[in-house]
Amino acid sequence: MEQRIAEILAELCGVEPEEIESDLDLFEEGLLDSFAAIQLVMELEESFGVSLDMASLPRERIANPAAIAALIQEKQG
Amino acid sequence: MIPYSGLLFFYLMALLLLPAVILGLMGKPLKTYGLAFSVMLLAIVFGEGGQLPALIGFYLWETAVFLTYRRWREKLPLWLMVPLSLLPLALVKVGEVWSVLAVFRLLGVSYMTFRAVEVLLNLHDGTVKVLSLFQWSYFLLFFPSVSSGPIDRCCRFVSDLERKIPLEEYASLLRRGVWKLMGGAFSAIVLGGLIWQYWLTPLPEKGLLPTLSYMYGYTLFLFFNFAGSSSMAVGTGYILGIQAPENFNQPFLSVDMKDFWARWHISLSTWLRDYVYTRFAMTALKHRWFKNQRIASYLGYILTMMTMGIWHGLAPHYLAYGVYHSALMCVNEALDLHWKPFKKRKRKGWGQLCCVLVTFHLFAFGLLIFSGRLF
Repeated sequence: MEQRIAEILAELCGVEPEEIESDLDLFEEGLLDSFAAIQLVMELEESFGVSLDMASLPRERIANPAAIAALIQEKQG
Repeated sequence: MIPYSGLLFFYLMALLLLPAVILGLMGKPLKTYGLAFSVMLLAIVFGEGGQLPALIGFYLWETAVFLTYRRWREKLPLWLMVPLSLLPLALVKVGEVWSVLAVFRLLGVSYMTFRAVEVLLNLHDGTVKVLSLFQWSYFLLFFPSVSSGPIDRCCRFVSDLERKIPLEEYASLLRRGVWKLMGGAFSAIVLGGLIWQYWLTPLPEKGLLPTLSYMYGYTLFLFFNFAGSSSMAVGTGYILGIQAPENFNQPFLSVDMKDFWARWHISLSTWLRDYVYTRFAMTALKHRWFKNQRIASYLGYILTMMTMGIWHGLAPHYLAYGVYHSALMCVNEALDLHWKPFKKRKRKGWGQLCCVLVTFHLFAFGLLIFSGRLF
């Protein structure tokens, strides 16, 4: 799962997957903006078959790869 | 009487906060007295300003909309309820530019209405499932942030409201709240007042240099005044056990306009981001409205910034302010996407310094538009 998340982020942020560290702050580093966050959520929904309500999703839940992985695990039950 | 201004206001507020402090230090729940505190101060401030009937009318209208939607949310469409909730705000804003409706005047209506709309949206999304009349009333009428924000979020507010605060934690909240109140008062009243009195007031109304001086002075005045008022609101909230979000985070260090709106009037910009930009862009993407996905982002920024302009008022300078920031956000987006050195260097060394200076001047010019001096 972590590998797939890194690939999605790398494509959205325009960097190599190896550069995506698990505690990388995606918003603070300017890698994700509001629109990229929406694209990320849609991509996560498609890749992992989960439903994420973007409108009520706090930014902290997708602020770094580790938080994203925890969110996906939680939604997958 | 204007909130957070004048000795009489601070005297009355201190007097009314005293029971809350005693309750907090005894480890007792604060919510019942907190609502009473808000109602008493609202009655004093709005009563003295002759706006109490308008406030009562506003409360009854918004409460009727809330209760109706809470009861029949499956049957009633959101597109009907949100405009109904926005109606009082629309009447006040139209009344500001059209004398026929000038009778509709209500201090803080912009802030209170956005809180009411947020509750409806949360009820629709299911993020708020249960909200009692007490919780609703306290959230809508929470006095500390009635006149200048921050625009708190319902779920966050209610979790503070229902939490039992241990004595040590309340003592810390009280200490931080008093500091925020004092710091905010110094910023808004002393620094803001000095700039207004000795910099802005003596400036001649016409001329390029006075206008340029006004632009810098007004930018600093608005920052000290607004950030100070927000800080006082947050501090008062702390004393009542409510930890409202901060509204400013070193905005003049922003490297671009997107960064700026994440640091200036944060509660408004995040509200608009979550409930206007994100909803619009997400819907556009899901329904494939545009071949080029990024068009959704550009249109989302235009919609968001125009809403921000209109939220301030319908006077030409507020609309121009919205148009100006729409354009800036779109240019910012285009630079991020198509000019790699911008994205790469804006947070490093000299590039960062240049970006900070340019962003400050772009915003300062925006505030010059906002001030109405150019119209």
